[in-house]
Amino acid sequence: MRLADGTVWSIPILFDLSEDEISDYGVKEGVSLLLTYGGNPMAIFKVEEIFDYDKKAMCQDVYGTDEDKHPGCARTYEYKDKFIGGKITLVNRPKINPPYDPYFIPPLEMRKRFKEKGWERVVAHQTRNVPHTGHEWLMKGAWFQTYAELPIEKPVVGVLVNAIIGAKRKGDYIDEAIILTQDELRKSGYFGDHNHLTSLTFWDMRYAGPREAIFHAMLRTNLGLTHHMYGRDHAGVGTYYGAYDAHHLLASVQDDLDITPVYSMNWLYCPHCGEITSEGLCNHRDEWQKFSGTLIRSIVQDGVKPPRLIFRPEVFDLVLECADKYGFGSPFVTDEYLENRIPVFEIPPM
Amino acid sequence: MAEGKYPINIWVNEERFEKLQQAGLAEMCEEMLAGLKVIRVYANDTQRDKILKVFPTAKFDSATTKSIELLPRDVKDKIFDKVVGKQNIDILDDFLSAY
Repeated sequence: MRLADGTVWSIPILFDLSEDEISDYGVKEGVSLLLTYGGNPMAIFKVEEIFDYDKKAMCQDVYGTDEDKHPGCARTYEYKDKFIGGKITLVNRPKINPPYDPYFIPPLEMRKRFKEKGWERVVAHQTRNVPHTGHEWLMKGAWFQTYAELPIEKPVVGVLVNAIIGAKRKGDYIDEAIILTQDELRKSGYFGDHNHLTSLTFWDMRYAGPREAIFHAMLRTNLGLTHHMYGRDHAGVGTYYGAYDAHHLLASVQDDLDITPVYSMNWLYCPHCGEITSEGLCNHRDEWQKFSGTLIRSIVQDGVKPPRLIFRPEVFDLVLECADKYGFGSPFVTDEYLENRIPVFEIPPM
Repeated sequence: MAEGKYPINIWVNEERFEKLQQAGLAEMCEEMLAGLKVIRVYANDTQRDKILKVFPTAKFDSATTKSIELLPRDVKDKIFDKVVGKQNIDILDDFLSAY
C-alpha cells in the first residue's frame, strides 16, 4: 500500500514485457525506449529496472483475493512475466477526437479552470455511467456536503464529473453516451456552469474496491480537487468487498491524502414522499423504489422513456441520439462498436 | 428450500399499453419507479437458468432487484406478445419450448 519512501500508492502501474520482447527490443537497464502509438512517437521511457513479481501475491495485496474470476486478477494473470520500471516523459501530446475533445482537461489546465470559476472546493464524482437521477442526487448531495461552512453569497463549490474512459465490456454504455449525457445535466439546467464541469480520465477499471478508492483519491488530488465523493462499494465487483470497506481504508490513510472524502448514502425514489430521497432521511422503508443501473439499462433497452423523476428526458433523448450517431444503433457496447468505434485519441506524426 | 420467483420486467410504453388496452389487459400493469408501467413475468429457478443460458446478454440482478434484465428487445416483444395472446403472465414454459 506504500512505496519504499512511505508514499501511499495503492495500485501499481505496470509495464509488462515477455523475455523474448526484452531480448528482441534490446531492453536493458539504463537505455531509453521510444514508446509509439499507431506508429507515431508518444513518449520516452528511461528504463531503470527490469524485474519480475509473484502475480498471485500481487493479486492478494491489491484485490484481497487471487481468484481468477475477479476481473482485476484476471488482468494481472494476463501480464507477461517481466516488468520494466523507470521514468516516462511525454514527447507528443495525444490528439483527442470529437466528441471527447472538450472533456480531456490535464491537471494544470484543470486547476486554471477551477480558479476561473472561483471554486474554492471541488468534489469529484467518479462515473462510468449514463446518469439517472440517483446519480444526479449523489452529486447534489456531495455538493451540499462539500459546501459545509463556506459563505453562500457567491458560488464557490463545484462538482467535477470525472468519467473513466477505458476498456469496455459488451453491454456497457458506449463512451460517447456516458460523457455527453453527463454534460447534458449541466446543459439542460439540472446543474449550471457555476457548479458543474464534466471531464474524462483514461484508466482501465481494476475493480479493486478499497484500493481503487485510494487510487481515485490520488488521481483526483493530482487534478486539483479538494474533495471526493464515495458511495457504497466504491469500484467494487460482485461480493468481494463490503459496502463500506473503501471508507474504512480511506480513513486509515486520511492523514496522508490531500483530499477530503465525502461519504454518500444511497438515493432512491419514495412514492409516498413523491421525490428522490436519501435512505438516511426517508422512513417509508416498505415503499422505497431503489435505483439499479441494470434496471435502468433494461428500460432504455426496451425503448421506453422513463419518468423524468427517474431519468431526465434530455438525457434519454441524447442516449438515443448517441446510439444512432456513434453506437451503430445501440447505446450499449456491441461487437460492431468495439471494431469500428471512433478512437478516443490518436498520436499525430512528429 | 423454496423455489425462487424471478421477475422479467416488460416495460410498457404507449405502444404496448395500447395493445394491452385493446386486449382488455391494462389492469395487468403494475407501477414501478415513479409510476413507470411494467408487466412482470415470473421465472422459476429452472426457467431463469435456461434464459440466462439461451440469451447471454441477459443478466440476473442479484444485488438490487432480483430480476432478470437486459434481455434483447425483440425477445421482450415476443414475451409480451405471448402474454397478450394468452391473456396470462404464466407463459414462460411455452415461450422457452422454442429454444
